[in-house]
This record gives sequence, structure tokens and C-alpha cells, in this order.
Amino acid sequence: MIELRGITKVYQTGSQTLEALRGVSLKIKRGEFISIMGPSGSGKSTLMNIIGCLDTPTAGEYALDGDRVAGLTFDQLAVVRNRKIGFVFQNFNLLPYATAWENVELPMLFDGKNARKRKERITELMNAVGLIDWRDHRPSELSGGQQQRIALARALANDPPILLADEPTGNLDSRSGEEIMVILTQLWKDGRTIVMVTHNDHISAHSQRIIRLFDGMVQS
Amino acid sequence: MNLTLPRFFWSEYRKRRKKASLITFALFWGTLSILLLMAFGQGLTTQFQVAFSGLGDTLIMVSGGQTSLEFEGLPKGRPISLYPEDVDYLKERIPEIMRIAPESYNSFQVSANGKEINRTVHGTTPEFALMRTQIPQMGGRFLNSDDVAKGRKVAFIGWKVAKDLFGAEDPVGKQIVIERIPFAVIGVLQKKIQDSMYNGPDADQIYLPFYSFRQIDNRRRINRIHIQPYDASQSKLIEARVRTLLGRKYRFNPDDRYATSFWNTIENNKEGMAIFKGIEIFLGIIGALTLLIGAVGVTNLMYAVAKERTKEIGIKLAIGARRRVIVEQFFLETLFVFAKGTFWGFILAFNLVHLIRLAPINYDSFGIEAYLLRPVFSLQIFVAYMAILGILVFLSGIFPALRASRSNPIESLRYE
Repeated sequence: MIELRGITKVYQTGSQTLEALRGVSLKIKRGEFISIMGPSGSGKSTLMNIIGCLDTPTAGEYALDGDRVAGLTFDQLAVVRNRKIGFVFQNFNLLPYATAWENVELPMLFDGKNARKRKERITELMNAVGLIDWRDHRPSELSGGQQQRIALARALANDPPILLADEPTGNLDSRSGEEIMVILTQLWKDGRTIVMVTHNDHISAHSQRIIRLFDGMVQS
Repeated sequence: MNLTLPRFFWSEYRKRRKKASLITFALFWGTLSILLLMAFGQGLTTQFQVAFSGLGDTLIMVSGGQTSLEFEGLPKGRPISLYPEDVDYLKERIPEIMRIAPESYNSFQVSANGKEINRTVHGTTPEFALMRTQIPQMGGRFLNSDDVAKGRKVAFIGWKVAKDLFGAEDPVGKQIVIERIPFAVIGVLQKKIQDSMYNGPDADQIYLPFYSFRQIDNRRRINRIHIQPYDASQSKLIEARVRTLLGRKYRFNPDDRYATSFWNTIENNKEGMAIFKGIEIFLGIIGALTLLIGAVGVTNLMYAVAKERTKEIGIKLAIGARRRVIVEQFFLETLFVFAKGTFWGFILAFNLVHLIRLAPINYDSFGIEAYLLRPVFSLQIFVAYMAILGILVFLSGIFPALRASRSNPIESLRYE
């Protein structure tokens, strides 16, 4: 499903060159629950961004469902992000002026779903994350755990087969973090592919397989 | 048409409208200021032109003088007078003349309604009205050819004469007495701004048919001949030919500048027009600089607000927004803010201009208010303003969105 071969990412800042990824190759099968671990600066988030089509590699090949991502246009990549991949960020990345309901609705609006379908799906997801009563609240009126659950609901809005979570519990207390992990585990059990970046061994224990990065390379 | 996204954009805009209101106000204020500034400038120029043409339209006035050069054995210092027959003499010989009229005047005691005043009384022909902007008020008329031919005892009076003799009453049909001869008032001069004059403003003058005037002033010579050419560009030519013809008739050197006197309003007008043009250019520069300052302020604000939303663009791109959606949203928001700000600025400026124009002008002693209280709203300036500001605002409003939507979403997501 996800296949990376010799992925390199080089950042150029002025005269300085930083190699964030150095020839990373890996395969993630449909329905796997993978944790990407490694110290700060090892390239975990960069790898996650490339898998999520938020960033492009400097060199190497990335194929998603057999399609070469490098061959897709900007708008085709947008469709991939909209339908195939759901994102959960460490800092939630919710729109601050939109309500919880509207934040969850956004991916479906971009997908052109009609009002009835959107309403049904948002209700289902808000119920699933236990926040239907908070539907009209803005992110600033919600706790960190609640915001992350809204972000999770938004990631699932278009029912994507892949869920990418970058330190999903990083900004949460342990109880909220555990709640998020329960949901993620359930989503994996329901058949989704989950790729999660984490520092935390306890959190990574929920996954099937751990990929360890060090200095931009896969260690194990 | 699928209105789901525009509806969503509208709902997002409404939530951010407090932030947008600053831009809207800047656009409103800029539009109001520029349009008012230009309206007052345009009005000032127009009023200068109106005042300039208060004396007459494309007019050459000739009067007699005194020779300053010896000519064909005749000494210098000879007085040169003009006579009624000179009018036909010149008209027959100069085909470039469209209208010509004699004018004699003198000061007389004028009485009516138990009041007596001293005013300049003129004798002339109907052509005079067309050349000297003598427009009658409703219900009256100027002198006609029958009045002149039949020596009718009628008079056309200035509005101040009417006020001085008849107060608020309508003088048309009433009599005024000059040198014990009664004249029926046939018309009153419409109020006008006049910044050039001889013997005072036309508001204070009384006009009689040329031959009727001769009954109260039997001097044969006339004071002036008024000439209007077919083509204003021929005024210098006509002036030269008049000098030559009168020089031949009254035996003076055509190059003698003092033998006859010319008041060529066409040539004066050219100088006046140069001043008006200068004023227009000056105001244009002020307007352009004001527009530039305003545009820099507004575009800066637009750019800052749009830039501030880079992360928002990143979030939207990350969850599947296409480039078109991002640009469309910023375009529609910019369009709405621009339309709202400039619309209210336009409405207020337009109504203020028309409200100010309703203010009365004191024609009896027109001062600065005669020039300032008649601003002119120019659609051309408004269109030019909208075009220039529109381009700048749209560029500044959409550019950050265009840039953000062309880069990898992660770059926008990282923007703080």
C-alpha cells in the first residue's frame, strides 16, 4: 500500500544543507499499525509529511496504492489527502474561528458531499468521539483532549483508509492520551492503516511494528 | 451552480468580519477622501471657468483710443472714436465674424417704484445677449430686433437693479424711468458668477435697445463693438483685420496699439485655461499621492491579514482543499471587502457632493464659497480610482493565498 524507496529529503537554509532523510526505504501493508520512533531531529515528522503528501522528497520513489506520487499534480495530491489520508497533528491544527462541527465538516465540503451526507457523517463521528454536545464550541473552548478528538473526527470525515498521526498524544495529559490511543487502536482493528510518530514507548506499544529512525536513516 | 463552498466562505468571513472591518473602513475612508478631494478640485476648476465665461463667450471687445504714432502727416495724440456704422463696416469686410454688436453706455439716475438709483445704462442689439451670457430669468426675455428697429421703450435689467428697485416683486411688465422717459422691463438677468467686467458686474447694469438709448444719450460715438468669431482660433486674425480696416477708415497706423483698444477674451482665456490646467494637474498629483498613500496602507493591511492566514491555508490544503478553492475564497473575500468599503465610500461622497451643491451661493458678492460650494462628482475619476485601487487590493489580498497554495502544504502549516 505504502512503498518508499531511497527517500531523501534535503533542506537548504542559506549556505547550510540539512539532510533530514537519507535513503529511507520501507513498505507498509494495508491494515498495519506502525509506529515511527526516533530521537528529535531523526526525520520522523519529515517522513510522515512525505507519506502524507504534505511534502515532496528530494530524491527517491514513493508509491501509494501502486501509484507514483511524484507523477501526481498539486490538485491530484489534494484529492489523495482528502480521500485516502486522514491527519492527526500534535498541535491539532483546527481552524480557530470554526466550530467543532464545522471543523469536522471541512474535508467533506472539499470533497463536494451534499448537506445530508455531511450532517449524517458529522453526527456519527461526533457521537463516536463523544463530543456531540460540544458541536457548537470553538477549539479555544475545548480541552486539549477534546480538540484532539475533534481533529480525529475530522481526519475520519471522508472515511480514509490511511490515518497518519504525528505525536497524537504529545500535547495531552496521560488520560486524554490514553483515550486517543483507544480510538486509534479501534480504528486499526476496523481495518484502517495507521502510521504514528511517537517518542513514547508506552504509546508505541499499541502498534504492530516499530520503525526506528536515526539521523535520517531507518535503523530497524 | 454548487453554492456550498461560497456559503462556507461567507460563514467563515462572517466569523472574521471584525478583522476585516478595519480593511473595510480603510477602503471606505480612502474612497470618501479621494472622491471628495477630486470633486472639490473639479468643482473649483469648473467654477473658475464659469466665472471666466461670465463676461462672455469667445469675445473680442474693441473700443476707441488715442493715436500714439504719427501717420500720413497726421500728428499723434488724435482721439479715435467708434461709430454705429463701424459695426456693418467690419461685418461686411471680415467674413470670419459670426456676431457683432455695438454698445454705448452712460451713467443715469433710474427711478421706479418710488426709488431712485444711479446705474450704468447700455444701448445695444440682440446679438449682445448671445455673446455676453445675458440669460434672462424665467418669464422674461432680452432685447429683440423689433425692439431695436422700432426704438421700443423696453429695458432688460440686472438682478441687483431689480432687487434695488422692486425688492421681491417681479419687475417684468413694470416701468423704470430714465431721463424722464419710461421703459417697460421685459426681462431680468439670471444670476451668474462673473469675475471679469467693466463698469461693474452685469447684475448692476440696464440694457436698452440701441436706438432707444440714443434718445437718452444723443452722442453719436459708441463705446465698444463686441465681436464673436465663428472659430476661436481666428481671434488674432480678426483682431489684426479690425485694426487694419479701422486704421484705413480713421487714418491711423494699424500697428498703433493705442489708437484702438482690444480686450480679447479668447486670448485671455488661453492664459486662464493654462492656469486651470495647472490647478487640475496639481490636484491630480495630490489625488495620485493620496491614492498612493491610501493604497499602501490598505494593501499593507490586506497583505498582513492574508499572510496571517497562511497557517489556515496550510490546514485546508492538508485536509484536501484544492488550489482553486483557496484562491476562490480569498478572491471572494477580497471582492466583498473591496466592494463594501468602496460602495459606502462612494455613496457617502456622492451624497455629500450633491448635498453641498444645494448650499446657496451669494451672487451679490460671490466669494470663496462660489468656488467651493459647487463640487463636481466625476464618474471618470471614480472609475480610474476603482481600477487602480482594485488592482492593488486584489494583488495584495490574493498574492499570499496564491503563493501559499503553490508551495507544499507543510510550508504553510509551519508558518507562525
